[in-house]
Amino acid sequence: MQIDQFKLKNPDIIADRAHIDMPLLSAFLVIFIISGVAIFSASNGNISFLIDHSTKIIVSIIAMIIAAQIKPMDYMRIAPWLYFICMVLLILVLVIGETRNNATRWLSLGITFQPSEMMKIAMPLMIARYISNGTLPVKNLSIIISLFIVLFPTVMILLQPDLGTSVLIAFSGLVIIFLSGIKKRYILSGLLVFIANLPLIWKNIHPFQQNRILTFLNPEQDPLGAGYHIIQSKIAIGSGGLFGKGWMNGTQGQLDFLPETTTDFIFSILAEEFGLIGISIVIIIYLYIVARGLLIAINSQDLFSRLLASSISLTFFIYVFVNMGMTTGILPVVGVPLPLISKGGTSSVTLMIGLGILMSIRTHKRLVTK
Amino acid sequence: MEFKSSNTQQTEKEIFLSRILFCSIAILILASIIFTRLFYLMVIETDDYKLRSLNNTIRTQAMPATRGLIFDRNGNILASSQPIFQLEMIPEQVINIETTLAELVELGLIAENNINNIKKRIDKNLQFKSIVLKRNLTDTEVAIFANNRINFKGIDIRSRLSRYYPRGEAFAHALGYVGSISSADYSRFDPTFYTGKEQIGKTSIERNFEHYLRGQPGSQKLLVNVRGRVMESISEKPFQPGNNLILTIDSNLQEVAYKAMGDQKGAVVILDASNGEILVMLSTPSFDPNLLSIGLSQNEFNALTKNKHRPLFNRAIAGQYPPGSTIKPMLALGALEMGIVEPDVYMPCEGKFFLPNYSRPFNDWETHGSVNVVRAIQASCDVYFYELANKMGIEKMSLFLKNFNLGESTKIDIDSEKKGVIPNREWKRNNFNSRENQSWYQGETIIAGIGQGYMLATPLQLAVATSIIANKGSAHKPHLLKAIENKNSGENEYITSEEINYLENINEENWDLIHQGMVAVVNERRGTAYGVFPENSPIAGKTGSSQVFSMDKASGDELPLELRDHGLFIGFSPLDKPEIIVAIIVENGGGGRVSAAPVAEKIFNAYLAKSLQNAN
Repeated sequence: MQIDQFKLKNPDIIADRAHIDMPLLSAFLVIFIISGVAIFSASNGNISFLIDHSTKIIVSIIAMIIAAQIKPMDYMRIAPWLYFICMVLLILVLVIGETRNNATRWLSLGITFQPSEMMKIAMPLMIARYISNGTLPVKNLSIIISLFIVLFPTVMILLQPDLGTSVLIAFSGLVIIFLSGIKKRYILSGLLVFIANLPLIWKNIHPFQQNRILTFLNPEQDPLGAGYHIIQSKIAIGSGGLFGKGWMNGTQGQLDFLPETTTDFIFSILAEEFGLIGISIVIIIYLYIVARGLLIAINSQDLFSRLLASSISLTFFIYVFVNMGMTTGILPVVGVPLPLISKGGTSSVTLMIGLGILMSIRTHKRLVTK
Repeated sequence: MEFKSSNTQQTEKEIFLSRILFCSIAILILASIIFTRLFYLMVIETDDYKLRSLNNTIRTQAMPATRGLIFDRNGNILASSQPIFQLEMIPEQVINIETTLAELVELGLIAENNINNIKKRIDKNLQFKSIVLKRNLTDTEVAIFANNRINFKGIDIRSRLSRYYPRGEAFAHALGYVGSISSADYSRFDPTFYTGKEQIGKTSIERNFEHYLRGQPGSQKLLVNVRGRVMESISEKPFQPGNNLILTIDSNLQEVAYKAMGDQKGAVVILDASNGEILVMLSTPSFDPNLLSIGLSQNEFNALTKNKHRPLFNRAIAGQYPPGSTIKPMLALGALEMGIVEPDVYMPCEGKFFLPNYSRPFNDWETHGSVNVVRAIQASCDVYFYELANKMGIEKMSLFLKNFNLGESTKIDIDSEKKGVIPNREWKRNNFNSRENQSWYQGETIIAGIGQGYMLATPLQLAVATSIIANKGSAHKPHLLKAIENKNSGENEYITSEEINYLENINEENWDLIHQGMVAVVNERRGTAYGVFPENSPIAGKTGSSQVFSMDKASGDELPLELRDHGLFIGFSPLDKPEIIVAIIVENGGGGRVSAAPVAEKIFNAYLAKSLQNAN
């Protein structure tokens, strides 16, 4: 296979100077407009809610632009430090963290934040740096060390407990090990070990997480309790039909049958109001962003950038897949928002920083190579 | 970063590319899974989910129908529906609940000791659902609130329809009353005709013609949110009001009867002799049906049901009394027909009748001297009828009395009617346990001759029997419902009742003889009701007294009130072509002449005055 086939054209000079990838930015802007439309409807036409959301979008765009200015080399340099700091913070969370809704995820050090969000950035940086230090295919020892790098924060976050985030962070690391040429039989045996340990894992996760999975397997067993979210979400999506009920006309959302409409279940609102046609457009834009990210990875000149860019893109896709999967009832409800469309917050800032790194890799590549 | 050879770099790129290719394929597969799932939900199963979405948000609210009105035979309204008012609060609209409640207390609209209870209910209630602060507001309270309405945001007066009986107590037993639907009511009536908010007929006309009066509830489709708050009304199907009913009751006559009864306990039944229509059905003491339809507290209701005078009990159809001397004309007719007595044969009455083997005599209330059948009826001579009963025997007596529909249901068009008792040997065998009590004694035959002993009849039965006497053998089935107003055509559907020939092949002269005796009761000296009515009244009647307490001589005045004799009067008028039939019983009135006959006099007086007026 020839890389040349996928060669990106030379970007616009001005955008390049500003380290902005115009195609990606345009896709983001379209998604943000969709987000505004969806959030406004989900909040029953609350203007101040929309203004608040827009402010957060602007903040995350600024974060992205800043992230795009930093050279890939510098990211590589700070990766171990960042990972180390995040690990310390994650341990602190378990010791002195703040508990909300039975989950200890927050840390108050002047400002209150979730260290697990920072780990979303630190993890791919750290693994990409560690593996790109060696050569491909990756050596067995490196695989073992990488696995430990992935394992520690994953377990820490699992203990908070935050199943969704820990799975996504583990994925962002593991996918790099996969991309660096780990032998297929290792993957297979790894999968076998995982499956063999499922009963053990089942015993060690929280009862409410067990409950979520049971509910996922059979939502109708408790339609007003645990299964309520899934059932109402499926009703919202299914009743949308091909063309949707029209903006602000979705009864499931407007009459509050659907919970968490501005966060986890915003996709259901879109499906209800804009139908299959409307959400197909959303899915296509997402696929475009992922494809663009992978192209940037293929076109980047060094292994670190390549691994990092592809991890960010693939993790972004997994976000979308998990959210759509859980709202349509094919995955358990694990509390993963729909990237760039759900109500903004720290998670959307970290997401945009990741996408900013993607832009940095795209626009700095000529500066890295000789 | 270490230096890597171009070979190594090339290998690395190839490994990376092949893995990226794998990932891309995985992405496409996962994306297709999502898309397939969406297609399944949004295209294939969409109808099912659309329905479920609608079921989530559409509530059907039933709207109760208005109950049909009830009129008397002359178009006077007897039962209507009128709004009653209650003070309601929607908590979320009230700015400050604490001060608002305090202000309502100040205005005297709610009681201070009720405030805590109200606050508890506010806490339990959904904030947008209204709660009732006070029911059944008086006109003054409505006016007080109306004057201060601007100060009370979130508080308002709501009305609902409740049954209203403008003429109150006098008509309570004829009309019956209504109340909230109980589970027992649902077993009687199809619940699909009710929304649960209606009042339902509990007794008499209101109960028996419930299916005409209730109408059919309408419905309203409402869009609601997850907490049930109504967002908008989508469609409406109006209710069908109930049918209006026209009764056979003559409300003027009913009120005359009610006034005439005064404080006395008892019942009055007046029939139209020509068609069985019930002009008056009165039972006293009565109750205010309006209080029952608004709703009594449990204590108030218990007080009513446990009242020893039993105001809720409809004596006119369910009160069973010994008919006393009122059966004498019937027995006399039987004896004449059977040849037991001859019209012109006089018999001595010395105030006592002796039966062989009985040590004690059977007393008459008076010594009558020599009487024939007409005089025996006129003066109500007991000895004459002791003798007659002795000759006729209980079996023939009971058989003949049954010809007057005694001991049988009259099949009136409302429930709860009692059948009375016409005893004979078989009846006694079936209704007593011990062998000794089961055998029939001749003494029991003797007292049956004056309507005492086991014999029982309701006022309505006596009225029907009197109707058979007046019409010389036939009567119509008595009924309260005259017509049903058809909602669609606006026309009335009239109820007629069949004429039943109870007694055929009776010698006309014998009829005339007992009529003659009954006219004499009213119009001739020594008649038991003589002097109660104006001279030469076109009235035939018969008084009766039934013993409540067995004494050798029942002397009215010295006994305690509840042990005094019941007074009875039956009668009809005019003589040649009878129009109205009257049957009256006054409990513990101390005899027919002193208690029941004066009531009859007032009723006949009113009736005859009115028909005189109509004739002019």
